[in-house]
Amino acid sequence: MNILQRIKNTVRSRSIHVAYVDVGSCNGCDIEVLACLAPRYDIEQYGIYVHNNPREADVLLVIGAYTPGWEEKLAMVWEKIPAPKAAITIGNCPISGCLFDRKGSFVDPPVKKHIPIAAEVPGCPPRPTEILQAIMSVRDSVFANWEEEHP
Amino acid sequence: MSSSLVWYIREFARAEWIKKFLFAKTAPLVTPTHFRGFPEPTGKTCTHALFCMMACPAPGAIEVVHAGDGWMPKIHKGHCIRCGLCVEVCPNGVLKSGRIRETMGREGTSLLFSFRIAIDKDLCTGCGNCCTACPVNKQADAQMGAGGHSSNDDVIMRVQEGDIVVIHEDKCTGCKTCEVSCPNGAIRIARILEGYQQPVQEGLQ
Repeated sequence: MNILQRIKNTVRSRSIHVAYVDVGSCNGCDIEVLACLAPRYDIEQYGIYVHNNPREADVLLVIGAYTPGWEEKLAMVWEKIPAPKAAITIGNCPISGCLFDRKGSFVDPPVKKHIPIAAEVPGCPPRPTEILQAIMSVRDSVFANWEEEHP
Repeated sequence: MSSSLVWYIREFARAEWIKKFLFAKTAPLVTPTHFRGFPEPTGKTCTHALFCMMACPAPGAIEVVHAGDGWMPKIHKGHCIRCGLCVEVCPNGVLKSGRIRETMGREGTSLLFSFRIAIDKDLCTGCGNCCTACPVNKQADAQMGAGGHSSNDDVIMRVQEGDIVVIHEDKCTGCKTCEVSCPNGAIRIARILEGYQQPVQEGLQ
């Protein structure tokens, strides 16, 4: 691995741009993501920036139980993200549908069926620290050694 | 001139300030002790009372499974909403989460279960399957036949003159065997969970 690749790895793992989509949640997890931005948890100190544009993002945060309105759109959003990328689901809804996956509802969890997911954060809602930990672990496993794995 | 420059750098570019600027992270991203996380085992023995599964509001979040010789509740992350009801309701204190158990002990609170048997008279054919299937009935009156007739007054329910009659609703344990055995779906068991606080003696508080 040459010096240029080393620099690329370092920069990629120190500057992560996050885009989030809410595919039908109760808004609880959105507020926990918002709490990550606030000074108490402050994700920008780790070089993670919320930048809601999939074309410029590295990590996609998916929140919610996948309502029918998102059927083709979520995959489109995922495809727009350039190559070193990862998707993280936040909360119970993308994993199991939790409270919304009842008889007669139209949600279609898990989100894993629709786009590849790198990490899932369970909890209803999860703590901001848990969201932060998930993003950090994805950073270490996907971005920090991207150059070796994709020469 | 040079000495003043050195002084200037030492004053305004102190090593610890630069170190703090580059490496400091905001404080402690640790979970506070009062946070109700996913329930964890305390190490006490589970007696398979299944109260946790009955109290759980999230579908499929907790399951009591075989673990070695005994039983152990298993939490399914992704379903669990961390409400702590299973911790609160367990008669043996098998689970812990945050400081729920300490608070319960201090304030003398507990959860009480009761069950209501609702029978749709329009759907019920009086076949007596529910009465014969019921395990509590079986203990009270082992002689109960296929029709669900019984002369015993200790049974939960029995068939009298072609109609089902519920005598002791309070004995129901919520196993829902009757629901499964009913050919028409006429019988439903509703779970009623209520909070209870022991009255605090005067002078203590």
